Amino acid sequence: MPDMLTAEPFLGGYTLDLGDVAVAEVTDISIVSIAMPLGGGDALANAVQAAWGCALPAPRGTSVSSDGSVTLIFSTPDQTLAILPGVDGLAVTDVAAKLGDVGYYTEQTDNWVGLRASGAKSISALERICPLDLASMSVGGAERTVMEHLGVFIMREDDERFLLLSGSSSAKSFLHAVELSMRNVT
Amino acid sequence: MTQSNRIAGGLVDRSKQLSFTFNNKSMTGYEGDTLASALLANGQRLVGRSFKYHRPRGIFSAGSEEPNAMVHLRRGAAQEPNTRATVAELFNGLEATSQNHRGSLEFDLMSVTDLASPFLSAGFYYKTFMWPKKFWEKLYEPAIRASAGLGRLSMQEDPDSYDKGFLHCDMLIIGAGPAGLMAALTAGRAGARVILADEDHLMGGRLNAETLSVDDQEGSAWAAAAAAELDAMPNVRLMTRTSVYGAYDHGVYGALERMTDHVPTSGGKPRQVLWRIYTKRAILTAGATERSIAFPMNDRPGVMLAGSVRTYVNRYGVAPGKKVAVFTNNDDGWRTATDLHAAGVSIAAVIDSREITPLAAIPGALILMGASVASTSGYLGLKSIATSSGVKIETDCLAVSGGWSPNVHLTCHQRGRPTWRDDIGAFVPGGDLPIGMHVAGAGNGSLALASSLKEGANVSASVASDLGFAATAAFPSAEDQSTDITPFWHVEGKGRAWIDLQNDVTVKDVKQSQAEGFRSVEHLKRYTTLGMATDQGKTSNVLGLAIMAEATGKSIPETGTTIFRPPYSPVPIGALAGRARGKDFRPFRLTPSHKWAETHGADFVEAGAWLRAQWFRKGSEKGWRDSVDREVEATRGSVGICDVTTLGKIDIQGRDAAAFLNKVYANGFAKLAVGKVRYGLMMREDGIVMDDGTTARLRENHFIMTTTTANAGPVFRHMEFARQCLWPGMDVHLISTTDGWAQFAVAGPNARNLLSKIVDMDISNEAFPFMACAETTVCGGTPARLFRISFSGELAFEIAVPARYGDAMMTKLMEAGEEFDATPYGTEALGVMRIEKGHAAGNELTGQTTANNLGLGKMVSKKKDSIGNKLSERPEMNREDDLRLVGFKPVDTSKPLAAGAHFVDNGKEAVTKNDLGWMTSVAYSPELGHSIGLGFLKKGDQRKGDKLRAVDLLRGGEVKVEVVSPHMIDPEGERLRA
Repeated sequence: MPDMLTAEPFLGGYTLDLGDVAVAEVTDISIVSIAMPLGGGDALANAVQAAWGCALPAPRGTSVSSDGSVTLIFSTPDQTLAILPGVDGLAVTDVAAKLGDVGYYTEQTDNWVGLRASGAKSISALERICPLDLASMSVGGAERTVMEHLGVFIMREDDERFLLLSGSSSAKSFLHAVELSMRNVT
Repeated sequence: MTQSNRIAGGLVDRSKQLSFTFNNKSMTGYEGDTLASALLANGQRLVGRSFKYHRPRGIFSAGSEEPNAMVHLRRGAAQEPNTRATVAELFNGLEATSQNHRGSLEFDLMSVTDLASPFLSAGFYYKTFMWPKKFWEKLYEPAIRASAGLGRLSMQEDPDSYDKGFLHCDMLIIGAGPAGLMAALTAGRAGARVILADEDHLMGGRLNAETLSVDDQEGSAWAAAAAAELDAMPNVRLMTRTSVYGAYDHGVYGALERMTDHVPTSGGKPRQVLWRIYTKRAILTAGATERSIAFPMNDRPGVMLAGSVRTYVNRYGVAPGKKVAVFTNNDDGWRTATDLHAAGVSIAAVIDSREITPLAAIPGALILMGASVASTSGYLGLKSIATSSGVKIETDCLAVSGGWSPNVHLTCHQRGRPTWRDDIGAFVPGGDLPIGMHVAGAGNGSLALASSLKEGANVSASVASDLGFAATAAFPSAEDQSTDITPFWHVEGKGRAWIDLQNDVTVKDVKQSQAEGFRSVEHLKRYTTLGMATDQGKTSNVLGLAIMAEATGKSIPETGTTIFRPPYSPVPIGALAGRARGKDFRPFRLTPSHKWAETHGADFVEAGAWLRAQWFRKGSEKGWRDSVDREVEATRGSVGICDVTTLGKIDIQGRDAAAFLNKVYANGFAKLAVGKVRYGLMMREDGIVMDDGTTARLRENHFIMTTTTANAGPVFRHMEFARQCLWPGMDVHLISTTDGWAQFAVAGPNARNLLSKIVDMDISNEAFPFMACAETTVCGGTPARLFRISFSGELAFEIAVPARYGDAMMTKLMEAGEEFDATPYGTEALGVMRIEKGHAAGNELTGQTTANNLGLGKMVSKKKDSIGNKLSERPEMNREDDLRLVGFKPVDTSKPLAAGAHFVDNGKEAVTKNDLGWMTSVAYSPELGHSIGLGFLKKGDQRKGDKLRAVDLLRGGEVKVEVVSPHMIDPEGERLRA
């Protein structure tokens, strides 16, 4: 039997620290989308509560599992993105097994490149490309927007820390946009 | 040069002397100077030549309204034309040169134009250069452009970078003069999120230019303290050097922040940032701009606005002249005389057009009431003036005040109209402001200081309260200075009287325009070019309107204003482009095997945002055809590998997923078995083909659709619309997985042999026949999806792994394929093989083709309804003599074919009425040994074997072609089922 394939992060695990602001590729997460069957909202919510001890997220928000390992991001009225600890292969199998036949699950891990922007100047940097009012975003808030023509999920993890998810095929362009913004304000 | 006109006082920092050059002459100034104040300090009155007549011109104002003092700033690639010396902050090493002259500034050879001025009035060009027509663009325009104009571009790439950004606030306050500072303090203290923007580097506006007191301190000191208080508030953002240039819909404002224009180099950081500011409310506190009075020969260097003369003395410690005269129609003009006298500058005369008691006694000054200036002398700089009663006065600086015009521009950016106020002789904002905008201070017509402060605070408190903040208005103590005015617009007399200094428009031009029938103010503007220069007529528009009103016998409000449009002041194109230049003009997408391809000779082509390998150069291959022919032969001969990740992938799940697909595809999908793939044809509502692709049924309620690369987004959008709007009752869920899976086509007779070494399942023809699909693993455990589909027409598979394993997968496929001489192939070889097979692609799916055109009419199932089904039945789309997709080969097989060539019957002329269709795609087929083509031909399905002319009228050339089946290789499909 041949050797299993080795995964390569989309940006090679890139990190940059400019002092007041830093960016790092996030390589230790898995992402699975959970779609809510028509008329099956309660069943899904109950399963999520039972499995992770949290509710489904509200619009513009996130919901964190009781053990802190899973974050659910509101993506559309009938869809949630689950951010889970990274695994080899597919995370969708585990999620489907955990929640059962109450939702439709799609592997999304490799659809996205994750960047973590942090530091005192993270908002100053991101306001160069992000049309949202980040200063008003609460910790735990998440929104979907467009930066430099690229679709992005942005989540405020802490006062000075944001998780950004954008399409993996355009990871280099997205990193360029974020990094240039950071260099322009430091 | 020494700073011969530098006097005591002002806000410049005399401990920091700066060196600069003007036309290569070395001069010095101080930190806090503008280029204009430093030039005046050095006695440099002449700074440029005028647009049309090449008249000598000096500095006219002290702010962004400047029409005259335009210079080239910096050198080489960084040279910027038309920079207003009045807003260019001085820095050490600044280099400025004058513009629009041939020869030296003092002896401009083009000033001969001035002698011909009697012939060059408004409309001259339109009347003179009418015949012959062929001279319009070849002779007249270049000649006129060469003689007229302003600065010149460096014609080199801009070495600076620019950026953009987004800001949010409760209240945007535009202008940091007395009203703006009070508005910001009031809102800021109440806790509102405030942005206070001002084009100056120093907050305070006119407070820095006047000798008025606020709270018993100098106005400038009060402004500095207010700015410091605001700066300490975390909820307030102070933006100096920032021009809010436009008011747009929904409370959005455009602003340009000049980050590094005041320092020698930008140090690699953006020179300017273009902001989009989202506001809940905005308060416009933009102040007012002084205007001139038109009198004969009023354009000489040394003739300046009175308030600006005062600015140079009070703020910069510079006397614009040794002996200054004042010409005014209002009380404010007198402040120039009294301030200058107090600063020790000699006043030659005060000439007031009003018959009133003089407002002040100024020792040594001639006071003339009810008088006006009727002429001036001094070619390169003012030497003397003469009044209408014949009194000649020696003076090197004439300070003119025709009154103050509130800066209403932003209130009118959404077609609001200002209203006229007789008491101040000016337009003020009308009632139809942009939604969310309020106005206060001089910009609202409250020209006096105490009123302005009070109005700023009151308006701000009201707006903040409206937003839910507990705001109270508190006012500092100040006086309302007198601003009485009796409008007086122009002085009759011999000689030209300028209205618009930048575009060289005179009173005569305005009157002539009226006499020639241009009744509307908009026509006046375009015929004379009044207010159309880079200053947009800030100092001239009201004056021009007043003179037009006089000429027509109408009032000024009846005459009206022209439309105000953004930008308020010029915005460099570089700033509008921002960072979007070069390869970062737009994002690009890379396939998972991009890195592998880069190191294996790939030549990339843009496919939308994607960069795809179009071929892989190998060894001594000289041209692209060598590579492509080899790749096709290797694939058809053994096995080839192509990264097809770019094809759109849409994950479709739900109880009604199959029924949904049955509705969006023209052909049947309801009964597709689990583990099977089907080719699908998708139509738009109008019955035109939208896209095609394959869809695999992984599980009962789980499908994976592939789309063409180009239509990945549009198909997703189309289906989201269908699911959300057409059939909201269906349980269907869509999500893109295009980026998530690295997908490779493995094609050729050895495809199965290669993949058998990697895939962890039986892929024999029996176990995994044509059009099968499976979720599986590769290399002993890496998750994968396998599809037995073929675009090349060979025995082929598409294997997908999570994208992060894509690079490793490509390497593994090549390793496993080494014994079969596996060959990577690019989009060109892919194109050759699909043309050989007669598969439609972008050239055929043009958004104008029907299923019948493509020869796929029978796929449109009539056993069910689907999007586009009904409208595809329209008779015109089912004509028997319509276009059909067929294949072509050259009769002389040594000849190449050309895409875009049109078909004409032999013996028929190549004209539209004989047009039978066109060639859509061509390629050289290594297997057939000649060029082949696909194309749409009228009744094509009935013309196999016919010979036609393929005429390429665009590039020239003609080839005789024979009509053949579009399926030129393996028409029975035996290979792909092997």
